[in-house]
Amino acid sequence: MRNATRFRIIFALIVFAGSQWASAEDVAVIPPDELVYCTVCHGIQMRGNQNILAPRLSEMADWYVELQLNAFKNGWRGTHEADLPGMEMRPMAAALSASQITAAAQFVNATRSPLPEKTIDGDIAAGKRNYVSCAVCHGENGEGSPVLHAPALTGLDDWYLITQLRNYRDGIRGSNPADNYGVQMRATVQILGDDQAMLDVVRYITTLHSD
Amino acid sequence: MKNISRRNFLGMVGAAGGSSAIYKTSLAMGLLADTGPMAMLDLQRSAPGRKSVAILGAGIAGLTIAYELERVGYDCTIIEASHRVGGRNLTLRHGDIVDEMGQRQVCNFDDDPEMYFNAGPARLPGHHKRSMHYCKALQVPLQIKANINRAAYTHDTEHFDGKPMRLAEYIADARGFLSELLSKAIDKNAFDQPLSEEDQLRLRDFVRSYGDLDENGRYKGTSRAGYASGGFLSHGKIKQPIEFSALLDSNYWRRGLSSSENFDWGEPLMEAVGGMDNIVRGFVRNIKSPIVLHAQVQAIELQNQGIDVYYNHKGERKKLHADYCFNSIPTHLMKGIPNNFSKDYNDGLSALRPGNFFKIGLQIRERFWEREGIYGGITNTNQRINQIWYPSHGIHSQKGVLLGAYAFWDQSNFFERMTPEERIKFAGDAGNKIHKGYADYIEAGVSIPWGRMNHMMGCGGRMSPEDEETYFELIRQPEGGHYMVGDQISFHSSWQEGAFASAEYALLDLDQRVRATATGMG
Repeated sequence: MRNATRFRIIFALIVFAGSQWASAEDVAVIPPDELVYCTVCHGIQMRGNQNILAPRLSEMADWYVELQLNAFKNGWRGTHEADLPGMEMRPMAAALSASQITAAAQFVNATRSPLPEKTIDGDIAAGKRNYVSCAVCHGENGEGSPVLHAPALTGLDDWYLITQLRNYRDGIRGSNPADNYGVQMRATVQILGDDQAMLDVVRYITTLHSD
Repeated sequence: MKNISRRNFLGMVGAAGGSSAIYKTSLAMGLLADTGPMAMLDLQRSAPGRKSVAILGAGIAGLTIAYELERVGYDCTIIEASHRVGGRNLTLRHGDIVDEMGQRQVCNFDDDPEMYFNAGPARLPGHHKRSMHYCKALQVPLQIKANINRAAYTHDTEHFDGKPMRLAEYIADARGFLSELLSKAIDKNAFDQPLSEEDQLRLRDFVRSYGDLDENGRYKGTSRAGYASGGFLSHGKIKQPIEFSALLDSNYWRRGLSSSENFDWGEPLMEAVGGMDNIVRGFVRNIKSPIVLHAQVQAIELQNQGIDVYYNHKGERKKLHADYCFNSIPTHLMKGIPNNFSKDYNDGLSALRPGNFFKIGLQIRERFWEREGIYGGITNTNQRINQIWYPSHGIHSQKGVLLGAYAFWDQSNFFERMTPEERIKFAGDAGNKIHKGYADYIEAGVSIPWGRMNHMMGCGGRMSPEDEETYFELIRQPEGGHYMVGDQISFHSSWQEGAFASAEYALLDLDQRVRATATGMG
């Protein structure tokens, strides 16, 4: 039996007044106590909280969450002094056992929340051209590829995407030789060139999850 | 000195003379606003059918609102995300949990009611009238807490061979030298508008008394600094004053001189006997409303009538409908909680940025500081620990709990990156530079990074001046029946008085609405 059944998944019909509540059917996953910590920063249902630079993680593939929690735990992420939010994340991952990491990943994967708001601008057409090199691993529609260990790019906050691209570019992420996929990504990011090219490609990626 | 007007000059004297003289004068003249006893809140009783209230957060603001509203017939429910009541009013004793994100600690002090550490608010000035009011109403005994102690030290690793200096000596010499400079200026009558002879005489007297100058207006040391030797069985021998240039160069004045000038830190201060959380216990004793712990708010939804609050509790998603909601959730976490507030209101909540404080509490096996003649008060240092606080209670008992570090804002990040063990070690090493063998006396320790505490992730929120202009009033006002409260919604964040004031403001606003409705004006 899958561990995911540990979470009570409640299908509650909640009709909210505000436009961000467009989905009438809200899937609320109730985390066990030890995983409530995740939602303190990442928000209810992992919807993200830009105020404290905690990205939206709702629905993220469990294999990738697990990979990244281990990256934090191993110190591949969250050890560079320029990565303050990463340094804030690291002790949380370090405190988790292997089975807790698996449980956390399954919890994150089960969460649902509205798609993130657009917060940055860029040239969509230029971004689409730049995206060609991204698509090789992350897929035409940003759907990701577990085989290539490339995560989906849809549903992520644009401010988080640009931060991570810059982190890869500047060696804040993907510099530890043990972090194979991170090192690969760091090398690939250099193709993008200047910051504007990165903004453009992030702007394009945000169009991929519009439907 | 040529460009200083007489008026400015006298202003400078006042500034150098310290706040206490000015404070006393102001008190005598009745110039101090917002002090004196707090008027009891005279709230209108809830209409028949009992109005319901959802209170989010069981800190000082939430508890105050429950206490006041249930007394006038409201049906209150307090929803608290963490494992405990009290919010940032946190006193740590044996076995208490410090729920730091990723680094949960258990307080390892002795199982002894005297071994406690106020990890949040630790000082109460008498002019915090709401705090005084509730301590009195809830029968929470208070005691004097020494904040400034002239026998404590000011310390700088870079100056005076890194040796700590008694505050008494530093303050006496600094004032002596400043007074001598003023005295010389009077001799030359070196002001853009000459002083009258009468003013000169008065000023000369003032300066001589302020700095303890000799007949010629010169500073030659003073007994105020403490004697070099003698004083009881023989005449006391005056200490040689510190070189004035060395004194200026030392930067001690940044810490040593001005620490008691802040109005909120002016002596005497108080603390709750047995731990600051006795205020929380006082509320809990006097509140009947249910307090639901481990209940994280999942969504807040304004309805045409009232508010729906969703929260998780014991693996169930619950819904609480209430006529009014008082919300003290840290505003920087509100973006992560689904709600249907207006965009402006949410923007205002996001504009309030979290601050950050960090404290270490150390259990000490033997009260070594008392052998150095220190009873209570604070030593200041240029090291990252900033301060050491000596307890005002338990004098001459065997053990005591010191504050071993108090870092503010960005300084706190340095300690946050450490493990709890590393923090205690760091505090011990820093203390060794001030007190011989300091680290060896440490038996146990806890560290509290408020920027890493579960369900808080910060404390003492502030807005930029521009955002304050745009948003403060907006988020202080209710959105429908929803009020944001807590010290964060005050001009005195990080003080319990800020939380009391915010609660009072919201309650009076509610009362006004209720009364207007009752008389058909609403």
